[in-house]
Order: sequence, then structure tokens, then C-alpha cells
Amino acid sequence: MNLSKLTIKEAHKLLERKEMTSVELVKAHFNEIKKRDKDIHAFLSLNEEEALEAAKKVDKRISKGEPVEMLAGIPAAIKDNILIRGNKVTAASKILENYIAPYDATVIKKLKEEEAIFIGKTNLDEFAMGSSTENSAFEPTRNPVNLERVPGGSSGGSVAAVKAGFSVYALGSDTGGSIRQPAGFCGVVGFKPTYGAVSRHGLIAMASSLDQIGPIARNVDDAAAVFEIIRGVDELDSTSVNLDWQDYWDSPLDIEEIKIGVPREYFIHGLNPEIEKNIKSVISKLEKEGVKIEEISLPYSEWALATYYIIMPAEVSANFARFDGIKYGYSTMNKEKKLQNLFDIYLKSRGEGFGAEVRRRIMLGTYILSAGYYDAYYSRAQKVRRLIKQDFDRAFKEIDAIITPTSPTTAFKFGEKTQDPLSMYLADIYTVSVNLAGVPGISIPIKEVADLSVGLQLIGKNFDDVKLLKIAKIVETING
Amino acid sequence: MLTKKEVEKIAELARLELSEKEKEKFAEDLSSVLGYIQKLSEVNIEKVEPITGGTNLESVIRKDDETKCISDSPMREQILSAAPNREDDYFKVPSILE
Repeated sequence: MNLSKLTIKEAHKLLERKEMTSVELVKAHFNEIKKRDKDIHAFLSLNEEEALEAAKKVDKRISKGEPVEMLAGIPAAIKDNILIRGNKVTAASKILENYIAPYDATVIKKLKEEEAIFIGKTNLDEFAMGSSTENSAFEPTRNPVNLERVPGGSSGGSVAAVKAGFSVYALGSDTGGSIRQPAGFCGVVGFKPTYGAVSRHGLIAMASSLDQIGPIARNVDDAAAVFEIIRGVDELDSTSVNLDWQDYWDSPLDIEEIKIGVPREYFIHGLNPEIEKNIKSVISKLEKEGVKIEEISLPYSEWALATYYIIMPAEVSANFARFDGIKYGYSTMNKEKKLQNLFDIYLKSRGEGFGAEVRRRIMLGTYILSAGYYDAYYSRAQKVRRLIKQDFDRAFKEIDAIITPTSPTTAFKFGEKTQDPLSMYLADIYTVSVNLAGVPGISIPIKEVADLSVGLQLIGKNFDDVKLLKIAKIVETING
Repeated sequence: MLTKKEVEKIAELARLELSEKEKEKFAEDLSSVLGYIQKLSEVNIEKVEPITGGTNLESVIRKDDETKCISDSPMREQILSAAPNREDDYFKVPSILE
């Protein structure tokens, strides 16, 4: 049996039946990492000793006959912009290269209560800014499906870790597609919950009104299992919402009751025709099984990416003021001591500590928010954001979910888009609207095109995450 | 197209030091993105209320709980020791007033 390909459910059963120990499971994953991560580079740091210690504790409980939680003893990889107390957290940036997290993110606290095993921290585009993991200040991650291609981003390391058998599941963060787009590129499931469903406390902020933590897994059931643990209101995140959540595992939906919308704006020029063909073939399979399919319109889709590239950098420029070379992180304060005043410390620490894309976005946001431009850009974008959200509100009065491609292309080659930032931004054209509207979105793998993975995106109604996951499960099953 | 001088001004506001070469590259990159986002001027936004955050929640407050940080002395020590320069329980900076 290949222990490095198990799902959460399978691993949990084997542990319960004492057919496998958690130590064996953890070791199997570290073996894969030692064999192949020098080529893939999914991880920025590993946690082998602590992981094995934690596994032993779970094994001890199981051997005593105690029942254990669903995620107990099962390896998880964590994106390196999420804090685990006492571990390094770099956000793949030079400015945090040696920073140790002083507390646990709320999602980590919840996973620790489940006795989940943290095997390591995964690579990302610096501060989650990018769509290929090429913006990591350290080394890019490679796509396990094809090492010549990018894994997507920014959660490229987390997604590659799950695909390559380095971890059973992973956590990522998604601001404009950073969970879903790489999940599509690498052929795994990636779920961005509704904004406010999962606490962001302990996630290094990029754009606070858009960021959301979510699971990356081998199938929809696993993504749901992780989501049910990490969701919930948190007094340390004032944007988290208090709700009575439905249970994913209770009665399944009646296929003939489901209505799915296909937005015509997502099937236009720029979409790879092979991807279009495969998405359409899944749609006809669903229709054959009794799902009602309707063409819908989301008329403001065309302006989503432009809106995103105003709101996101504006929030970035405000959030990133905290990196000042005074409180923590890379600093030039102790170099050439006599020559420096406070202003120079800011300029140099930030100038040397941040990579090109981070500086680009900070500057873009600074410009957009500066006197004289605020109304033309930021204020206008906030209004268009309202119109984009209303598109979804209107659509979900009639339908239960929306189907789109996750990305217009399959995984691209290294260096293909790094010279022209705008071409990289276009990789997120089908994912950003979801963050602007706050709604949940999930990417599931469908048939490959030219040996490269293709993702299908399902979008749900605000806080109808469980229903979206149930529909995703149906699509996954029917797609086969 | 942004001029080099405009880029210098933005970088100063953003507290970022740029090399001469980067100033030129950034002028080009930022101009191309700004050109793209001009697209929003096509949209009629009359009578549309702006969205100002990710949720509809308003003025959420919580109790100030000292156990969260101040009385957690290992956490407090870790936060202070992450500073490039400290003195006792203070962050230390170069003198600001002449």
C-alpha cells in the first residue's frame, strides 16, 4: 500500500483499525519529501522531529483504545504565511527570513486541538503576491505534474506538496485565486471559503477585505473535513461571522433539485479551446444526470480584474506599512549606524527587504490612494465592486452554483510571464470576482489537456459553503 | 506614462528605496497596470454605494483581554527580541529630535 497517496478518510480508518500507525504515515511522507522535494521545492522548512513526536502521542492514544479525531495523526502542510508558534514564518520574503512566529494562527490552534501533524511550511509567491510561485524570494516551486511548468500560485508549495504525496492535505490562502488557480494547475482540490467563514487571525495579511484561508486536498470530502474544523467565529478576527453551520456529512443533495448557471462572460476569447471543450463536456454529463443547467450573465465580470488591481494594492500599501525595520524583520538599523536617521532606515530596510512584485504593488497602492487620485481609482473601484457583488446576488436567486473554468490556460512555463506583470495578472481573470464578492469558490480537477491538469471552478452563495461542497462532490463523482 | 520623477515621488511616499534601473522599469510596469485599470472609467457608477469591506458586519468589538499577550511573558519576550534594536522592554530607534 502506498501510504503517501491516502486521503484523510482512508488514513483515519487505517489508524482507527490499527492497520497503520501515525508514525508510519508521517515517515512515509518524509520519505517522499527526501526523495523528490529537491526537484519540486514545495517546502521552505520541515518539522520532522516535532512531527514524529506528535505522531507518537496519537499512536499512544489509539493503542489505549481511545477514539481520535478525524484529522488526528494525519500530516498537514502549512503555507508559510500562516503562523505556528515557535516556527519560522517567512512569507517567502527576505524581510521575514529569520522571523519566528510568537503565537499560533487560529486555524493552527484548531488543528492542534485535533492533534493534526504539521510536517512543514510551504513555499509561496512573496507575501502571496503572484500566480506562479516564481516570486518566492528563495526558489520557485515546480509543478509535480510536469517539472518544466509552474505550479501556479501563490499557494504553489501547498498544492505541490499534496499532489506529490508530501502531505495528505494543506492549508493555503486565497486573495484573488491563490488556492484555486494552483489547485487547477496541479490537479488537486482547492477551496476558498466565504469571506468571514474562517478566521484570518495569524495569517500574514495581504489585502484584508479579500484574504481567506482554505484547504487543499486530494478530494472534495477531505477539503470538507478540514473546512469543518477550521471554520467558525473568532474574537481575534472581527470580520469572522457567527453562524450555525450545516453538517457536510448529513443527507446528500437530490441531483434533480440542483440548478447550475453557466456565465456566458467566462467562455470568451482568451480561454484555451481544449479547456472549454472539457468543461462543456462535464456540463453535459451533469445535465444527463438530471442537473438543471442554465446560461446566466454576470455583466460586470469584464471589470473584475481592473477593480481587483485597485482594491488589492490599496490595501497592500496600507498593510505593509508595518514592515518598518524597527519592530521586527530585516533592518539596516545596525549597519553604518552613525549615518542613519529613521527615514533612511525605512527606505533601506524596505527597499532591500521586499522583492520587486511586493514593491510594485505597494507603489501602485500608494499612487492610487494619493491625493487627487483617490476618487478616480479607489472610490470608483469600491462602487464597481458593489456592482460585481450584485451580479452574484442576482444570479443566486435563481441558481445554486455557477460553473466556470478555474483558469484560461493550463500551467505555463517558467519565465513566460515574469517580464510583463500584466500578463501574470491575467492568469487570475476567472478567480478574482469571487474574492471581490466574498462568495465561496472551489476548484476540482477534471480531464487533463496535453498531460497538464485542468481545473473546474464552482462558485456558491455567501455562507452556503456546505451546499457548494456537496455540489462539488456530485460534480467530482459524475466526472469520475 | 509615469515619469521617472513621479516614480521617485511615489517611492518616497511608500518609503521604498529604488535603484536608478528599477525606477525606469517601475515607470514602465506601473504605467502598463494603470493603463489597464483605466478600464473602470467605462462603468456607470451613478447612485452606486461603495463596498468598504469584506462583510456586512459593523463595529464589532471585543473585551480587551490581557491574557492574550501582555501577561503571556514568553510571547512578550519573543515579540521584543524580534526587534533589531531594543533596550529593556522598549524598541530602540535613532534619536529623532536634534
